[in-house]
Amino acid sequence: MPSLTTQNLSKSYGGTHALKNVSLKIHAGDIHALCGENGAGKSTLIKILSGVETPDQGLVQWNGNHLSLGKVHEMESKGIVAVHQEPVVFPDLNIVDNLYAGRELSSGMGTWLNTASMKQRTRDILDSLGEDLPLNQPVGEMALAQRQMVSIARALFNQCRILILDEPTASLTTRESDALFKTVISLKNQGVGILYVSHRLEEVFQLAQCISVLRDGILVSTQSSNDLSEDALIQQMVGRKVAYPSRQQPVNADITKNKPVLELKALSRTPAYDDIHLKIHAGEILGMSGLVGAGRSEIARAIFGIDEFDTGEILFNGKKLQNHSIRKAIDLGIAMVPEDRQRQGLALPLSVETNLLLPSLNAFQGMTGLDRSQMRSMSGQLISKLGIKTGSPDNPASALSGGNQQKIVLGKWIHQNPSLFILDEPTRGVDVGAKSEVHRMIIELAKQGSAVLLISSELPEILSLSDRILVIAKGHVSGELAREEANQEKLLKLSLPEEAKQSP
Amino acid sequence: MKAIFLRTLSLPETFLSCLIITLFALISQLDPSFLQWEVQRSLSSHIWELAIIAIPMTLIILTAGIDLSVGSIMSLSAITAGMLFQAGSSMPLACGAALLTGTLGGFLNGFFIARMRVHPLIITLATMATYRGIAEGISQAKPVSGFPAGFTRLGQDEWLNLPFAAWVFFIIFVSVFWVIHRRALGLHVYAIGNNDTASRFSGIHVDRILIGLYTFSGFASALAALLFVARRNTAKADVGMGIELGVITAVVIGGVSIFGGRGTLVGTCLGLLLIHETREFVSWHWNRDEFILIVLGLLLIVSVVFQKLLRHKQNSS
Repeated sequence: MPSLTTQNLSKSYGGTHALKNVSLKIHAGDIHALCGENGAGKSTLIKILSGVETPDQGLVQWNGNHLSLGKVHEMESKGIVAVHQEPVVFPDLNIVDNLYAGRELSSGMGTWLNTASMKQRTRDILDSLGEDLPLNQPVGEMALAQRQMVSIARALFNQCRILILDEPTASLTTRESDALFKTVISLKNQGVGILYVSHRLEEVFQLAQCISVLRDGILVSTQSSNDLSEDALIQQMVGRKVAYPSRQQPVNADITKNKPVLELKALSRTPAYDDIHLKIHAGEILGMSGLVGAGRSEIARAIFGIDEFDTGEILFNGKKLQNHSIRKAIDLGIAMVPEDRQRQGLALPLSVETNLLLPSLNAFQGMTGLDRSQMRSMSGQLISKLGIKTGSPDNPASALSGGNQQKIVLGKWIHQNPSLFILDEPTRGVDVGAKSEVHRMIIELAKQGSAVLLISSELPEILSLSDRILVIAKGHVSGELAREEANQEKLLKLSLPEEAKQSP
Repeated sequence: MKAIFLRTLSLPETFLSCLIITLFALISQLDPSFLQWEVQRSLSSHIWELAIIAIPMTLIILTAGIDLSVGSIMSLSAITAGMLFQAGSSMPLACGAALLTGTLGGFLNGFFIARMRVHPLIITLATMATYRGIAEGISQAKPVSGFPAGFTRLGQDEWLNLPFAAWVFFIIFVSVFWVIHRRALGLHVYAIGNNDTASRFSGIHVDRILIGLYTFSGFASALAALLFVARRNTAKADVGMGIELGVITAVVIGGVSIFGGRGTLVGTCLGLLLIHETREFVSWHWNRDEFILIVLGLLLIVSVVFQKLLRHKQNSS
């Protein structure tokens, strides 16, 4: 069976070893999962295999032949293709043009494009993937899951033999993920070797025959998935045991007797959401579950003053908010961790300290200017309190791992003691270790009396943290569940839109 | 210690300082007479107007914006002052009206950029044409001159051996420098240039800051226009023609990233000095205008490429 092997791959950036002597074998027709925390070296390995980076040491062989490294073209010509988290496509072009970009078919001695046969081949490839996508729609208008399919189709087009999928389900809904899994399995059956990189362990066990674990740049193990339990895998990834924290509620404490911090009354904005009622009390974590695009983030944005709403009321600590600015929301005591950490949460090239203090800089300003020493001591406190791993507060935020970046986004607010935290996908793309730290912080916030609105697409996260769960489907509240009665099946059922339930 | 030394070495400001020192060394070999104080002073009389506009331009480019309309705002302000004076109004009133016009012109730019979300390049390209067109229309392209001596003295008198315009520049520079480096506003400007969405989400009044900066740019352009008119004792619609290119070139040579978020006011000053001395020396020594353009173009290429290489090295080490 043909296979892709690496031998003793090593790569270091500056003083840190990103990869150390990694030897791996991926067979055609196999799904080989690669697990590891952020910063474990997964992306470096992917970059080397797709020809973006050159290793300091080591070899890569395809069927026993050496490949010349650091050349994307060489890798592609051997059929080794990577599909990234955020698929790279030309957003304004349609599927056909995306697949054929740079290798258009022409006829009449190259004078005009052979549109008909390009369309036909595109349709064939989509058929082989079991996908029915509109050929004329600009790809940028499609859902993320569909764009990902376009990227996979593009890879297949290259006579792909080894397909590298980097966190393919990170932003997909459960249903979209299921469709992707079907495609992955059918590709496997066609003899394509798949290197499947994911944080989501359920899907790793569901799909992969073989699981490799990277930790701190070292290949810890390669095992058959049958011989491995989820707990054992996590232990190998982090070197210690991690579990979802179970939130113990004090007996007799009825949080709903606390005063409501936030109340929404018939909040509507067409077409995003309609007639939303909700109440969050001090010390309560309200989970908001639902599919991506159901309107959850839009509701959060209205509360934080980013977008306006059409009708209805937002009551914050009993006071009505209308057309409020983000600054007003912050000053009243609302904090928000937005869903897209890098684009909405951080000014990446700026220092950790500046990012941490960005919303509160005015507080450090006296007559003579900014009080740098006070800023330094505050950022130092936050860094140690949140366990942010950085050499110095002056390092740029971009140098930190995803989990540590997310801690900065949380840290921006914590020292101002907000009474409401809106957390939109607070652990997306965060590794297992940092994830449980973020979970502990969320519980701590509630314990100290803040109200928390937790938006998450990850059901175990919602289930383990929330006191109550609100499910949003197509912009409506489709159900509210108390902590005790909630489970994954109920949440999923409530989150599916009506028509999907009728024809499952 | 070594790390700090290396970082200082790779700053664009260090590179520019080296270039300037090299330039002066070269000049002292070729033509030392150019370096006499009197020569320098007489050749620098016009640079201060450009330098005044370069301060707000630096801040605007730091927010990843641009203001192409500065020259046209100069023209409109100069014409406002000239026409009012010709119509018989007192000079202080005419000057006040000119400053108001420029400020309003800048505010309009900022309003469209921040509130209507029009790209700065497009809106200031549009107002560059519009403002100049209005100035030409009002003045019928005729120059106004014969301003009172009290006014022209602003452009010609010196104080402690430096022209009045130089002192205006220093005052603005020092106050803006203080705000940028010692106030929260400075960090806000850098944050906006690095990520305006994240800045908004952190409660920074992005819109207000942008409107403020473009308004400041309009005010500074009007101020520069008045100094120009006082120096030349003439107001015409072609005042400030093409000055935006000189200003933007100086800012970019000074190491301010055109994509925002990176650069300093000191860099801009060094960029101004380098361009100014190069330009004046070329025309002093060879007296050939086409040389100036070639040398300036080469200077821009060399400095931008070099800064890119330095950054690349810094990132990979």
